[in-house]
Amino acid sequence: MEEIVNVEGVSRRFSLDDGSPHHPAHSFVSALSDASLRVTAGEFLAISGPSGSGKTTLLNLIGCIDQPTSGRILVDGVDTSKLKPGSMATLRREKIGFVFQTFNLIPVFTAAENVEYPLLIQGVGSRERRSRVADALESVGLSARAQQRPDLLSGGERQRVAVARAIVHRPSLVLADEPTANLDTHNATQLIDLMHGLNRRLGLTFIFSTHDARLLEHTERIVRLCDGQVASDNSNEGGRRG
Amino acid sequence: MAKFLLLAFRNIFRNRRRTLMTLFMVGGGVAGLLLAGGYFAFMTRGLRESTINNGLGHLQIFTADHFNRDEVRVLDTGIDNWRQVAATVKTGGHVRGVAPRIEFYGMVSNGEKSSVFMGSAVDPEAEKSLGFTSNVVTGRDLDSKPSGEVEALIGVGLAKSMNVKIGDGLTLLSMTSDGALNGVDVQIVGIVNSGVAEMDARSLRITLASAQRLLQSDRVTNIVVGLDATDNTDRVASELTPRLRSSSQQLALKKWIDLATYYKQVNTMFNGIFLFMGIIVFFMVLMSSVNTLLMSMFERTREIGTMLAMGTPGFWIVALFMLEATLLGLMGAIVGVVGGNLIGALINASGLHMPPPPGYTSSISFRVLHVPAQMIGSSLLVIVSLALASILPAIRASRLKIAEALSHV
Repeated sequence: MEEIVNVEGVSRRFSLDDGSPHHPAHSFVSALSDASLRVTAGEFLAISGPSGSGKTTLLNLIGCIDQPTSGRILVDGVDTSKLKPGSMATLRREKIGFVFQTFNLIPVFTAAENVEYPLLIQGVGSRERRSRVADALESVGLSARAQQRPDLLSGGERQRVAVARAIVHRPSLVLADEPTANLDTHNATQLIDLMHGLNRRLGLTFIFSTHDARLLEHTERIVRLCDGQVASDNSNEGGRRG
Repeated sequence: MAKFLLLAFRNIFRNRRRTLMTLFMVGGGVAGLLLAGGYFAFMTRGLRESTINNGLGHLQIFTADHFNRDEVRVLDTGIDNWRQVAATVKTGGHVRGVAPRIEFYGMVSNGEKSSVFMGSAVDPEAEKSLGFTSNVVTGRDLDSKPSGEVEALIGVGLAKSMNVKIGDGLTLLSMTSDGALNGVDVQIVGIVNSGVAEMDARSLRITLASAQRLLQSDRVTNIVVGLDATDNTDRVASELTPRLRSSSQQLALKKWIDLATYYKQVNTMFNGIFLFMGIIVFFMVLMSSVNTLLMSMFERTREIGTMLAMGTPGFWIVALFMLEATLLGLMGAIVGVVGGNLIGALINASGLHMPPPPGYTSSISFRVLHVPAQMIGSSLLVIVSLALASILPAIRASRLKIAEALSHV
């Protein structure tokens, strides 16, 4: 299978040198340390670990919204460490879809307009946009709520809109950072099922982070992080398969 | 683009109270400028027309030597073939009429007291035909064909200082073209109040024929030309200039604006005040809007982070913030233009009067003109102020670190 993500010995340190007398000069905290990971196209992968283990940092690095201190990351064969900010933005725009813990929908846009946004910034024509937005909303079961603004949607519905937004431009990779953290168990399970279904039907690669052990039962591959290092990388035989 | 515009428009109304405050501030600035500018425009237009109709006319013809003349023997440089020149001018388009004049100086005496006067000799019929008013407050205007005595109008201040009234006699002394001193007895038929105290303390008016007898000359110092509308001044001046070259004397044509020194000073002063007010409004809108837009950016940090994470180019974020500010400026300008015109209309309907300005004796009505150029200028001013105010927040927003912005609470 084609390799979509290759994380090679990546470390990410954050400077604590804020001028405070409590932090000596050149002190750092290491969020990720020499982490390596390969993800092939079409995988449905969970990154788990306790809070502070480096899940979000790893997803940010894979998603090109942060730069590693050392090591390199290839996304769809492109070495992201060599990209300029403009090229990184292009890579994110064209190849990556994001689902955030707090949904992060644009509050003044309707559900349909939120889903349309990634197509808008790609310069897709209006007719094509309308068709793809309708398809995306239908695939998450929210066609009837297309014209509602986010504040009139439930938490589960908002996150499904966010998923539709993440897949509407047909990215190579969807990254979801704790997508179920603000959902109840029922909605969380439904969302994971939805993402899994999209993974199977559309062949989309999903990488999501969670510390909810119940959701891990639904995934096929689980990468566990601990203190910024990959502690284990296991296939979950009990996870759902197509 | 339409969606982008829609996003900017909706973003404006996220915090309605803040938007309303900004609209009031921007609109207030525009309305203030329009009211002040409209009042200044009313004042300058009124001053322009009163200056022209009080006898300056739209154009005046002099000899080329007039401006280097001897102040005592005023007719040395006068126009000798003035009837022919006047006839030539009258045939021009937009010319309502012409009025020959002699501007002269001399001494006036009542037998007990003497004073300097600034004399003006006119053809009363020609003056009336041009609509020039003598501002007679007591008595009557000059008769073009007086039966007996030489008639005179004198300023209210001069009449007071000479202690004379209607029907009293005065003696005028002035220098003839030959350099001799000549005198003429006049009878006061009217007292004039021009509204300018300095003028009224020296002014005296007699008929053209009387002045020519006094000065022993058939010449006039100038010919005043009245037009059908002030806006035609430049056009008529261009047409007349080549036609006046055929005269035996070298003549100079002056437009009213060249002669209206006081008008120009007032106009320059009003323009200066208006410019100063514009600068204040510009900085007021700029400074307060920077703060408002920075607050807006801060509140939307996570959302901007999300947009950047999805690959939105930085210049889109800059453009979005600038578009929001520009739209806000546009709406504020509309509020200001509508509000300013409404208030202006109310002021005009109220019939308010302002106290007399320094040097004037009569009050001035307080009216506001609706000047389209001022509406456009004031609107552009606040729109540009807001667009400039948005640059700093917009650039900051576009340069947010995405990972930090996404974790912003």
